[in-house]
Amino acid sequence: MTLSVSTTQEQATRPLVASVRDLRVHFETKAGVVHAVDGITLEIRDGETLGLVGETGCGKSVTARSFIRLVPSPPGIYAGGQIDFWSNEARQAKEGPIDLLEISDKDMLRIRGDRIAMIFQDPGKALNPALSIRSQVAEVFYQHRSEEILDALGPHVPRIVRRAAKQRTTSLERLFLRFPPFRSKAAQLRSIVDELVAQALSETQIANPRKIMDSYPHELSGGMKQRVLIAQALACNPDLLIADEPTTALDVTIQARILELIAELQARLETSVLYISHDLSLVKEICDRVAVMYAGRIVETGTTQEVFANPRHPYTRGLMAAVPSATHRRGQLAAIHGNVPELIEPPPSCHFHTRCPYAVDICRSMDPDTLSVGSSHTVACFAYESRDFGMPLPTLDW
Amino acid sequence: MTTSIAGLGTQEKTTAGRAVISLRGVEKHFPIKEGAMQRVAGHVRAVDGVTFDIRPGETVGLVGESGCGKTTLGRCISGLVPPSGGKIYFRLTDADAATLDDIDATPDDRRTKEQLAQLQRIDADHRIDQLGGKAFRAYRRNCQVVFQDSFSSLNPRQLVKDTVGRPLRIWKEASGQELTERVVSLLESVGLGRQHLYRFPHQFSGGQRQRISIARALALDPEFIVLDEPTSALDVSVQAQILNLLHELQQKRGLTYMFISHDLGVVRLMSDRIAVMYLGKVAEQGTAIELFESPRHPYTEALLAANPDINAETSEMKGLRGAVPDPANPPEGCRFHTRCPVATPICGWEVDDAVAWLGTHETILAGLTGVERRSNFDATLAFGDAAAAAAVGHQVENGDIPASMKAALESFSTDGNKVTLTFNPEGPVELEDVGGGHLTACVLHTSRRHRI
Ligand SMILES: Nc1ncnc2c1ncn2[C@@H]1O[C@H](COP(=O)(O)OP(=O)(O)OP(=O)(O)O)[C@@H](O)[C@H]1O
Ligand SMILES: Nc1ncnc2c1ncn2[C@@H]1O[C@H](COP(=O)(O)OP(=O)(O)OP(=O)(O)O)[C@@H](O)[C@H]1O
Ligand code: SF4
Ligand code: SF4
Ligand SMILES: [Mg+2]
Ligand SMILES: [Mg+2]
Repeated sequence: MTLSVSTTQEQATRPLVASVRDLRVHFETKAGVVHAVDGITLEIRDGETLGLVGETGCGKSVTARSFIRLVPSPPGIYAGGQIDFWSNEARQAKEGPIDLLEISDKDMLRIRGDRIAMIFQDPGKALNPALSIRSQVAEVFYQHRSEEILDALGPHVPRIVRRAAKQRTTSLERLFLRFPPFRSKAAQLRSIVDELVAQALSETQIANPRKIMDSYPHELSGGMKQRVLIAQALACNPDLLIADEPTTALDVTIQARILELIAELQARLETSVLYISHDLSLVKEICDRVAVMYAGRIVETGTTQEVFANPRHPYTRGLMAAVPSATHRRGQLAAIHGNVPELIEPPPSCHFHTRCPYAVDICRSMDPDTLSVGSSHTVACFAYESRDFGMPLPTLDW
Repeated sequence: MTTSIAGLGTQEKTTAGRAVISLRGVEKHFPIKEGAMQRVAGHVRAVDGVTFDIRPGETVGLVGESGCGKTTLGRCISGLVPPSGGKIYFRLTDADAATLDDIDATPDDRRTKEQLAQLQRIDADHRIDQLGGKAFRAYRRNCQVVFQDSFSSLNPRQLVKDTVGRPLRIWKEASGQELTERVVSLLESVGLGRQHLYRFPHQFSGGQRQRISIARALALDPEFIVLDEPTSALDVSVQAQILNLLHELQQKRGLTYMFISHDLGVVRLMSDRIAVMYLGKVAEQGTAIELFESPRHPYTEALLAANPDINAETSEMKGLRGAVPDPANPPEGCRFHTRCPVATPICGWEVDDAVAWLGTHETILAGLTGVERRSNFDATLAFGDAAAAAAVGHQVENGDIPASMKAALESFSTDGNKVTLTFNPEGPVELEDVGGGHLTACVLHTSRRHRI
């Protein structure tokens, strides 16, 4: 199952949706400055699914949150780089990109949840425990689809109801809305939004959407909460959907359902997806291209086919060899020894050198460059950089 | 096994002809309490009749979806919670197992004095909730657990030396310098060392904390360890280290494992035999090869189909439709029938299924005013008016009702504003042998097959 259906050639010529260049995100901590994202470069093309994989703490979520500027700050600092974004609208109007790190907070508010939607890693934390599912999904419609809602209300909508549809009412105005002459229009507004909410929920194939609307997050299972988040994310027809481990906490049978769902919606809306996961087998199934991240940096990118058939970076190779499979013998899994290094002000070096069986002196004292090793396959490792280093090319068997 | 109890610190040597753990119809039902009076309103049937053996030196894998009762079963086996029904035996000999089979087959009032005496002896020597003195101590030492969450299972205020050394101190195995040396050698056996003795859990990575949990479980040189998702919280690279370590320890120390996980790849790699659990019951059990290469139960097939495989050229990743049923009120017949893609008319269709199906048609159930339920298979639905009842009748006659649900209807009638549904009642589907110890609980493969 692949989320989108397209060939490699097609993809390379597809227009860009987002381009991340040399992004750096740091955290000020007592122990020093953590370089959580340490200069990464990525491209997401129209309609494709890009997988971002890597071990825990390597900076996947921080990267994702940077797109919508939701890295907690302080302690977070956007220390450099840019994230260019082309909305479908801008592209059709032949406009240039906007830099998501530079635009005003007000502009960001308009993009977030509207042009770029995000499904957060922890569905429990992303929903407000005190509000019903109805009001949490309705909120998305009020924020991003108020014009449509007003159209559906017909002509002669009183100003106060217009304000209600945009959620701009004061508490006094809300009191007025309960009485004639506004009451009937306000009720109509509510029923239109209810209908939209029910429809969005039923698209995620949740059982009994009308009943779910009246429940609160604690009454729902993890899989159901995740579907509510997906309904919210897709309610606004985003151009880019960022899914941060949306299925990690779920059972495989439910995970497969949710992925089918994202695939259906993606096919219908032609949304581009940045899919974050630490599960290589999963990424192999659903992504067009993959970026492998290690300790704040991208170490390898390419089409899923290229990267899985011919992984180049020693870390990618190690990861793949560590996934238990039918061909492994018990006790003979290839383990990557050691642990992820501290990211506090790392000196110039390949961040993987502490665990890499091929490391030589140069790896400990210089940053490797990102090299092209195929039409759309890149790797950041000295072994590919120059024969002068006299390093053997990493082999497949760890 | 001879009836003598292993001395402290020595390992039971005679392992032939006995199981390490024998489960016989084990149940664990948790009461659901309601209101200020904490009245018991029902029971969550977390484990609902599980029977299998774990033999010396083998690894039995336990897989299934979240909430199916894996952890609860593991906790029952390791004595952390008492089962609410059934029996768990430790080191039951095959001879005693046969005796128990005989006694179980004899009705209570027909048991001979001799049988009763034997029952008492076997229970006192082997049944974990009735073990006396020495036998209980032997069980306690020899049965250890490693939990999924190494964060909450290690005391944050205890140094590694105290955490790992604690069992040795409690059992008065060692003290002072000797204790320290024993802890060091335990740490070394899991790939840590002397330099880690005086650190706190938070100073370690997830993989290292899991190693500490394993070292603690090894302290008393146990025979058997329940591993409850020991690597679920870890990255693949670290998971590989821990899985290799567990295998190495098993080889060196002749350990027996029960390996709980929801990761099929991991369970396949680590297990000799596997039990697949669904809603508190075992749906299928057999060798790892049997289950992965010729699964018989549709639930096992569904799990395999949904599992992404890094080696497969392309796989489908098919999901299961429908929600996981409530374990407090499990479905009749085969518990999987509400989600089974190949369910037959004899799988236990019941009133709830009809109501759930009608519920997928937005408006049909809107007029429902009452339900008179005579049993799970037989009920009368009352509607506000005759038209609403007729609409339901029309749906059942001509709508998109699943064919096997329709075939399971014994009778169906509409009378004014009432609709009466009666399904053919079906009992639970139990495990049956489908060849060479491969057991499955699905009517497609078992003795009820001729009725389909
Ligand atoms: N609020 C914060 N304060 C300080 N450090 C932080 C903060 N948030 C993240 N970090 C650091 O940034 C790094 C990257 O974290 P991030 O959450 O992006 O990892 P991840 O790749 O998403 O991991 P996971 O797979 O566990 O979700 C980590 O080392 C983390 O300690
Ligand atoms: N102490 C308890 N009181 C009441 N219900 C409980 C208790 N412990 C577990 N349960 C219920 O028993 C069922 C089985 O839970 P259990 O933790 O054994 O599942 P599991 O298979 O280990 O799931 P997971 O894969 O999520 O760990 C669940 O429905 C759970 O809610
Ligand atoms: S640059 Fe050096 S240390 Fe880094 S992955 Fe390549 S060989 Fe290993
Ligand atoms: S008995 Fe078999 S066919 Fe019937 S519902 Fe259960 S698994 Fe499906
Ligand atoms: Mg994350
Ligand atoms: Mg569990």
